[in-house]
Amino acid sequence: MRRILAIARKEFIHIMRDKRMLGVILIMPLLQLFLYAYALSFDIKHLPTAALDLDHTEQSRQYISALQQSNYFTVNRVLNNYGQVDGIFESNQDQVVVVVGSGFGRDTTAGRAGAVQVLVDGSDANSAQLGQTYSGALSRVYGAKIAIAQYEAKGASVSNVGALTGNTRVWYNPEGKSASYFVPGLIVVLVTMVTVLQTANTLVKEKEMGTYEQLIVSPIKRIELMVGKIAPWALIGAVEILVISLIGIIIFGIPFRGSALLLAVASLLYVTCTLALGLIISARATSVEAANQLGSLVSFLPTFMLSGYIFPLSSLPWVLQFLSYLYPARYFMVVTRTVFLKGGGLSVLWPQLAALAGFAVLMTTFAAFLYRERA
Amino acid sequence: MLPMLMLMPVLQLVLFGYVVGSDVKNLQLAVLDYDHTVQSERVVEAFTSSGYFTLAARPTNEAGVKNLLDGGTAVIAIEIPKGLSDSIRARRPAQIGIVVDGSDSRTSQVAAGYAQGIIASLSSQFYALPSAKPGKTAPVGVDAQIRVLYNPTMRAVNTMVPALLAFVLLMSTTNVMSQAIVKERERGTLEQLFVTPIGRSDYLLGKLVPYIGIAVIQVIVTFAVGVLWFRVPFRGSFWVLGIGLMLFLFACLGIGMIISLMSSTRQQAQQTSLFLQMPQMMLSGFMFPIAAFPPWLYFFTFLIPLRYMLVIVRSNFLKGSGFVALWPQFLALAVFSLALFFFGLSRFQKRLAD
Amino acid sequence: MDDGNAIQVRGLGKTFGDFVAVNSIDLDVKQGEIFGFLGPNGSGKTTTIRMLCGTIGSTSGSARVMGYDICDEPEMVRQSIGYMSQKFSLFEDLTVNENLRFYAGIYGLSDEKYAERRTYILEMADLKGREDELTGNLSVGWKQRLALGCATIHEPKLIFLDEPTSGVDPNARRHFWELLYELAHDGVTLFVTTHYMDEASHCNRLAFIYRGDIIAAGSPQEIKGRLAADTIVQIEVDDGEGALAELVKNPDVVEAYMQGSLLNANLGEHSLSQADIGGYLKRAGFVVRHLEPVEPTLEDAFVHLVGQQGGRA
Repeated sequence: MRRILAIARKEFIHIMRDKRMLGVILIMPLLQLFLYAYALSFDIKHLPTAALDLDHTEQSRQYISALQQSNYFTVNRVLNNYGQVDGIFESNQDQVVVVVGSGFGRDTTAGRAGAVQVLVDGSDANSAQLGQTYSGALSRVYGAKIAIAQYEAKGASVSNVGALTGNTRVWYNPEGKSASYFVPGLIVVLVTMVTVLQTANTLVKEKEMGTYEQLIVSPIKRIELMVGKIAPWALIGAVEILVISLIGIIIFGIPFRGSALLLAVASLLYVTCTLALGLIISARATSVEAANQLGSLVSFLPTFMLSGYIFPLSSLPWVLQFLSYLYPARYFMVVTRTVFLKGGGLSVLWPQLAALAGFAVLMTTFAAFLYRERA
Repeated sequence: MLPMLMLMPVLQLVLFGYVVGSDVKNLQLAVLDYDHTVQSERVVEAFTSSGYFTLAARPTNEAGVKNLLDGGTAVIAIEIPKGLSDSIRARRPAQIGIVVDGSDSRTSQVAAGYAQGIIASLSSQFYALPSAKPGKTAPVGVDAQIRVLYNPTMRAVNTMVPALLAFVLLMSTTNVMSQAIVKERERGTLEQLFVTPIGRSDYLLGKLVPYIGIAVIQVIVTFAVGVLWFRVPFRGSFWVLGIGLMLFLFACLGIGMIISLMSSTRQQAQQTSLFLQMPQMMLSGFMFPIAAFPPWLYFFTFLIPLRYMLVIVRSNFLKGSGFVALWPQFLALAVFSLALFFFGLSRFQKRLAD
Repeated sequence: MDDGNAIQVRGLGKTFGDFVAVNSIDLDVKQGEIFGFLGPNGSGKTTTIRMLCGTIGSTSGSARVMGYDICDEPEMVRQSIGYMSQKFSLFEDLTVNENLRFYAGIYGLSDEKYAERRTYILEMADLKGREDELTGNLSVGWKQRLALGCATIHEPKLIFLDEPTSGVDPNARRHFWELLYELAHDGVTLFVTTHYMDEASHCNRLAFIYRGDIIAAGSPQEIKGRLAADTIVQIEVDDGEGALAELVKNPDVVEAYMQGSLLNANLGEHSLSQADIGGYLKRAGFVVRHLEPVEPTLEDAFVHLVGQQGGRA
């Protein structure tokens, strides 16, 4: 035990003396937190739009202003003829072009359907998808309003004109605060990126420095070495999770509806997994560069891809879905989201906790195996 | 080390291509049906046969819905009210409740959108207006023909894979370069080199060239995989693409040099590199539409070289945009690239001179 | 302990796949002696030390270190020995104090013991007053002494030193050996590897290892004595390389090699006199400036032994 303490103390001194690294690990995650939580959302508002009015009637103008008022579209410019359309898209000046056909006013007042063409730039599929949906929905709503007005004008009873509509309620995040979405996920991503990379370096550095030889000749057992080396990072990981959570709750006002204890337990299990992963890399990497490469490759993109952070797992091809089950971040992501936003407890989250515990045990056992005496 | 240097980033990015290229579908749906009629079954069927939703469960009350959403078994639920069938027959308006899991706002938004679309078309079917010709369910009011250009199927892969070309360059160049330079600083071999006849510029060139070579190979491989495997259409010109990528490469080299100047150990360089890649991924338009950013962030994105590169690469691939159409982006990219590269270079040479 | 031996090696061997690194060697190191272990790189020197320290396992034979079997009780071995590696194994970004504290913790010293040892080591290494300096800022000589201190913080009775003076200036080297003599005087056994032949002669006994085999063992006198019967002449000539090539052709020359700018020729037990060799070279067109017989040095012995094995040192 004293030996573990000696190692842990030494590791702490290394960390504290490396001021630059400290700055990177502590400040950069916070910077990212502020950037993303404030800024990002999937809401596409203000899609740059160009309008081409071929009708020039009161009705067509009303339609275009309805578009502008919807907030989803920002009509930047008015075109004069159809030939300008290609140029607009090619030079990325606008993403949507709305063409109101000549005869729109005549048709709608006569009770016929007014023709509108909406051209969407598909090269950015994210925006295109939603642009398509919004313009469709908008036109439907607008069309329904016109239809009702027409029927009323004809003296028909509006109550005879029925329609099926959908009434949407958004649970857990009704204000649609993007911070609520991003912050719990960021906890997972940031902690992973720090702990895996740092522990991946830990043993390889000793080997390179030449102090490894000295250590293995001493009475210290390999396991003790392993535990001592990850102890400071376990602490730092825990602190980061705590700090980000507190900032999220206090500064961004994201809700915390679940059990702090549950989150603590899950955090502990998850950090164990990431530290074990780093240790495994450290034991096998042949050089510091290799450890760095492997560490970042394993912690950066996969955490984005396979944890369900940005891209819903249900949409992935089955091979990748299968892979995601093998990646602990997936389970921790569910836990953080649930604890913060949904308030679910053990009864709902026990599968995730079980999975995290299983992985923690498996990975630490494997790491211990790699660190056994007399490899 | 070389095979790993070359292969793993590309492999990861191919994987990434699959992930980001997946269109949102197979959303787990819970159905709370209070009506139990033929019509309500038609509603359910419309949802499940759309390809967007998979029926996860049929809870019998709202508590059941809550459980499903809490536990993540379902991301969306529809509530069919009692009396739907009657309303339809009496031509009274009716409403279907949609509940989405807002903790994943992207998915919930898309899900809600799909749901609304399905309901709207159901509306036209159920409430076919008397004046309409039999069998025809043309909407009245506004007939909006929506055409998606350049990528009609809106395959997300088509948007993401060209972007990956740029991202491969960014990732591998900054990572590897900063490691190599910092390694020599750590070892102290930098001083050693200056006793030799090698000139400083020769040293730098010698250092940069292999990484440029590796980056070029990775870009070519990503391009091949994108076009041949993911079948992303390439309608542009290699010239435009090549020059754009080359400019961007210089920007990345500059960034790599600046990172290596800021770091005294390889570990620092790698961690810094990682933490610089993430915002570039998030804020450059790679994943999130820039148009939706708040104004202060929107202006910030003008400082990210990747932003311009993404416009160039996506436009060139899918729209065939050339130098003329893309001159603002090229100009901005050129300015940034040269500024970053020469700034990095001059600081680097100065440091070597110390 | 085993008949007064700190180290007892019988038939110890290590094979890596097909490669035989250490080939069944025998060794005895008495308590309290300074034992030198010499050999070129790749000769099995490092592998042997690693086996003796218990960090890698052996594939054949056995060894007892400080009375403990290296196979059965490696942890006891590690607790009883000290080790100073070639790279000094100090943590550059820790202060002198912190390094000492670390090793004290590793070896499980009590607080009182640590305080006592710390004072002693700081005194010995002449680092009093510099405890809070970063180790990385110390010059090589001080680092070397600190490393020795850390390696001996738990007062082991046997210390392995792997090339402890490489890269150190001659003055510091001498000072360091004085410290080693003091330790030996106190009854500590020292197992030293070195490249420097002059250091080898400081040792009580030596062993040469070459390509996995011990090719010579004994005191420096005994080893040099192997060549006692040989006549060795040292020649100063204008074209050393050329003369060397010429001498090698001579069947009476057992071996010849450069020593600095001078040429050594071992004439064996032959009656070939010095004058003959001088004349031989002159006839070949070389200008011989000086020629005299010399006492065989350890280096001569080493070269000779290696040459006998069919190799070149």
